[in-house]
Order: sequence, then C-alpha cells, then structure tokens
Amino acid sequence: MSILMQLVVSGMAVGMIYGVIAFGYQLTFATSKTLNFGQGEALMLGALVGLTAINFLIGQSLGTFWAYLLMLPIVLAFGALQGTVVEWLGVRQAIKTKSEAGWIMATIALGIIFKNVAENVWGRDALKFPSPLPEASLSFWGIRIQPMEIAIVIGAVGMMLAVEFFNRRTILGKAVVATANDRDAAGLMGIDTAKVITFSYALSSMTAAFAGVLVAPVTLTGATMGAVLGLKAFAVAIIGGLSSGLGVVVGGLILGVTETLTGYYISTGYKDVPGLVLLLLVLSLRPSGLFGKATIKKV
Amino acid sequence: MKLKLAMTAVAVFLSGAAFAADPIKIGLSGPFTGGSSSMGVSMRDGVKLAVDEINKAGGVLGRQISLVERDDEAKNELGVQIAQELVNKESVVASVGFINTGVALAAQRFFQEAEIPVFNNVATGSVIAKQFVAPEHKANYIFRNAANDTIQSAMIADEAVKRQGFKKPAILADSTNYGQLGKTDLTAALAKSGITPVATEKFNIGDTDMTSQLLKAKEAGADVILTYAIGPELAQIANGMAKLGWKVPMIGSWTLSMASFIDTAGPNGDGAMMPQTFIQMPTTPKRKAFIEAYQKAYNVDRIPSPVSAAQGYDSIYLLAAAIKQAGGTDGRKIREALENLNEKVEGVVTTYDKPFTATDHEAITDNIPVFGLVKGGRVVPAHPEDIAGDKALRVKSKS
Repeated sequence: MSILMQLVVSGMAVGMIYGVIAFGYQLTFATSKTLNFGQGEALMLGALVGLTAINFLIGQSLGTFWAYLLMLPIVLAFGALQGTVVEWLGVRQAIKTKSEAGWIMATIALGIIFKNVAENVWGRDALKFPSPLPEASLSFWGIRIQPMEIAIVIGAVGMMLAVEFFNRRTILGKAVVATANDRDAAGLMGIDTAKVITFSYALSSMTAAFAGVLVAPVTLTGATMGAVLGLKAFAVAIIGGLSSGLGVVVGGLILGVTETLTGYYISTGYKDVPGLVLLLLVLSLRPSGLFGKATIKKV
Repeated sequence: MKLKLAMTAVAVFLSGAAFAADPIKIGLSGPFTGGSSSMGVSMRDGVKLAVDEINKAGGVLGRQISLVERDDEAKNELGVQIAQELVNKESVVASVGFINTGVALAAQRFFQEAEIPVFNNVATGSVIAKQFVAPEHKANYIFRNAANDTIQSAMIADEAVKRQGFKKPAILADSTNYGQLGKTDLTAALAKSGITPVATEKFNIGDTDMTSQLLKAKEAGADVILTYAIGPELAQIANGMAKLGWKVPMIGSWTLSMASFIDTAGPNGDGAMMPQTFIQMPTTPKRKAFIEAYQKAYNVDRIPSPVSAAQGYDSIYLLAAAIKQAGGTDGRKIREALENLNEKVEGVVTTYDKPFTATDHEAITDNIPVFGLVKGGRVVPAHPEDIAGDKALRVKSKS
C-alpha cells in the first residue's frame, strides 16, 4: 500500500510540473487561438535567468531562501518581456493576416533561437540550481517527499488561483475573459483585443518562467531542459483540454501518475507509452480534451 | 645573369624550407558542448597540452603538429560529417578523439577506408576497436587507449560480488547505446560469478524522476546498485535514493567520475565507485608533471574529467612516437609503426611498451584501471593499497 501511495505522490509531483507548463499553453489559446510552441524554451530561459540572478544574490551574502524570493520578481519581469517579444515577432502578423500556420512556424523558430542563445550564454551542461528549502525529504506515514516538491504543488496552485482571481476581479482580467469568449464582440465593445493578446502572451511566458524556477531545484537546469518538459506539457494540454485551466492540471496529474505507476508495475522501459496511448484515445474520442468545451468552427 | 641564378637559388631554398616546416595535421574531434562535454573538453585540453609540449621541443621529424578541432556535439550524424571533412578536405595524417561509442562506430569507417589511423582515447564500447578486423578487412586502422566496457563491466562485477560480497545487485542503465550495451556486458560479467541481477531498470536521457526504478530495485531487495549511464541522470539516481531514504552503495562505469554527477549529486553522491585509468594524484613523476602543467595551462584546480585528459594526452605521444618511427606521414606506415612500436612511451596512465600488435589494438588491459571513489567532490582511490608504492604504475600484461 505504501508503495502505491509513494508512486502516486511522486507521480503527482511530476504531473504538477507538467500541469504548470501546460497552463501557459492554455492562457494564450484562450484569447488568440494560438499557442507558443516555444513554451518549453520560455521555461528554460526563466530558469537560467533565475539561476544567474540567484547566484548573484547569494554572492551578495544573502541566504538561499531570501535570494530565491528576491529573484522571483526579476524572473517574472523577464518572462513577461520575453512573452511580449514572442507575440510581437511571431504571432501578431499571423493573426492580422489570419494565417493558419504562420504562428506555428514562427513560435517554433523563436524557440530554437532562444535555445541557441541560451547555449551560448550558459553553455550546455546541466547546472545545479540552489534549493531554497532543505533537500532532505520529509516522511508522512512512510511516504517520502521532498520539501521542494511540496513547494511546486503549492506554487503551481497558487499561481493558477492568482490568474483566476485576476480574470474575475480586475477590469483588465475581464477584458481577457471577454476576448476569450468572443474576440470580435469584445473588439466591438471597445476592448483593444490586440493588446489583450499581447498581454496573454506576456502572462503565459511569465507563468512558464515561474514554472522554470519552481522546478529547477528538482530537475537540474540547462539549455535542453525545455525540450522534454515542453513536449510532455503539450500532451497534457491536449489530454486535459486547451480551453480549461482545471483540465490541464488534472491532465498533468493523470500523465504524471500513469508514468510512475507504469514504470513500477509494468516496466520502466515502457514508462512513456500509456501517456501517449491516452493522448491518442483522447484525440479520437474527445478531441477537445477531457475538460475542454467542444467548439464548432464556422467556416 | 648571376643575380638571377642567385635569386632562383634563394627561391628554391625558401620553398624547401617552407616544405620542411609544413605542419603535420592531426584531427581532433569530440563533444565540446552538451551533456558529455566535461569529458570532451578535458580530452581536448589534454591533447593540446601534449601537442604544445611536442611543438616546443621541436616537433616531430622537425615539423610542428597542428590540430584541426571539430565539435561533434555527441551526435552520430555530425561525427560522420566531421570524419569526411577531416579525411577529404583537411587531409589529416591521423585523428584522435571520440567520447561517445555511437559517434565512434558511425564515423570511424571513413578513416578506415582512407587508411588513416584513428585513436579512440575515451569511447569505451567493447566493439569499437574490433569494428574492422581480419579477415574481412586487410588492416585495422582503429586504435584505442581507453578501458573498454568488457574490462569495466568485469571490474564492476568483481568489485561488487567478490571484493565487497554483495549478492543482490540491481542494474540501472540509460536507454542509449552506451547504457544498453553496458547493461548487456554487466549482466554477462555477473553471470560468470553465478549472480543474476534482482532488477534491471531503464530510464531516458532527461528523466527527472527515478522513483519507479528505485522502488523496484528496493522491493527486489537490492543490496547494491550498478549503473551504466551519464552524469545528470546518475545524479538523479543518487538524489532519488536520498529522497526515498534508502541508501545502498552505487558502483558503476567510469562516468560516475563525471563532474556533472559529482556536482549535482553533492553529498548524496559520496561513496560512488567506478573504474579509473587515472586519478588526479601525483603518484608518479610523470603524473605530477602532467597535473601541474594542466592546472597551470587551464587555470583549474580539479581537472573536470581526469581520465579523459590523461588519455587524450597519452594518445598524442603514442601517435608522435609512431610518426617518428614511420619517418613520414603515410597512414599505412604509421599504422605499421603503431603495431610494432620500438620506443617505450612514458605516458600518464601507464608506460606503453609495445602497446599494440597487428591483432590487438587495445592499449589498456584489465590490470591497469583501479577503483576510484567519490569523496567530498573529488575522485580518490577506493583502495589506496592498489596504487601504493611500485603498484602506482601498472603496465599492460603480456599475453
């Protein structure tokens, strides 16, 4: 029993990481029906900028914990800036000309550029990210978990609640929701939808950058860390449904837990298979995802 | 008329001088960026150190050595491209390098076909030096001065089973060529002592959670973990064990000495053991000189991968000795010289006394490597008595 629980808990920690990244896909898809395929790279850049910042702050004789907290605003600001750049360079023109595929190519291209830049600035080795919390694991009824894994879950849930609160309670948030519901109608009501879309990209990369520094102490940091995580998160977004914030979290948990359970009960060699089978099943039975709203596209 | 003659003479003399000073081009390839770069860069720096020393002492046959450096990024296809470039465009006399078994197997055939000797100074796949042997091939141009996986897996099995008395090993290997071939070698080596691993688990490059693999090993009652993988994932294993509150010894291939393992695993990695051809300790005068020269040239205290640096350094001295003996840069003659090297080459790893024959292209035999142990961020000898006194210098056994 305790083995099963241990596997589920570890799987949830991994799944939450996927969920946080997938959340960023959902943010831009809601407003603009476009995705940033460089989401994994946004995460990687956030983590590396965070690494430089935290090492600098630790160098200023701050404790790791305070350095980590002080580093967060820097990383969030950087993420927002990076998202804005992606929208300006890659997405705006494609939306204007109603191009179906332009933004796909553009965001992939930007992702590759970001990765190459990171390789030149930070090198290609996996680097250790200082952990703000003790690394020794805690034990609850025989189930062991690292403090940082708990922090990931709390951080991820907190971030999603913050975004949700922002959407419901603030005027800018309401503009975002309106644009998500019906871009044309929102435009007619006097909402500058282009700005809202830019903003959603900034917010999306900001969450990715935050996810980056959240997971970095557990996963190691490096120019290639975005590739695997970004791809898994994309699968999660499809499973959960791109139009639902709750969906991507549940999708993440499902994928994370299936991975660890398969690894233990079937074979570690087939760890990735059930997740992908699930992805195919969802695509063929419920293309809008487990929690997605079915959309009818009028042509 | 006289003046013209004099000028012609001068011109002839100058062109002659230019010919004599023509550098000897040697290829140097390896991953200088990416996950295996700590090995690649140390190897490259060791090679450059040896080349600088030789050039300062007047070069080989009165000619300077010049290196043609290429980064293969540990990618097979890039390795193939580089091999073709080195052979066809740069016309190198010989080539050294290869960290990754996959890259070596894919790329070295171009050197073989062009009859240009190539030195594997780090890659360990058992099959590498036997890829082109008689009778299918007239002559083998592939040489190696690294401890291959057959030697390493036998050493790991002996250390775990015979020396330390573990009965229930679990094997954890990554899904690359390196990990899976190593796993096969390791299983075979254990079978010789009548031991079957209680669990054999696999993971991918980039995996961050090892809970499933470790729990399976733990539930199977494993008393030691044997590894075949590279730095970052090995660190995840060590950290994962700490997370599960389960600690059994880790013994594995030489990659447990990678800086990326030692640094990211931190205290969790202490005690990990691996075969090493060279440990950064001044146990012989040659080693002392090498360590000091390396530290001075690259301004570091700890060599990122001492084994790679030492083997890279030695590969150049072996090659230089062979070129000297061949009296020229003809690939066939250099190969023949390597297979019957008259000069005893005093290297960092060992003293090479006729290291190769026509049928044996492995300079390192199973008596040369010793076990290293991670301790406080460094690799130290696991059994100091193994390298005490005159046992510090271990030379190839004559068959």
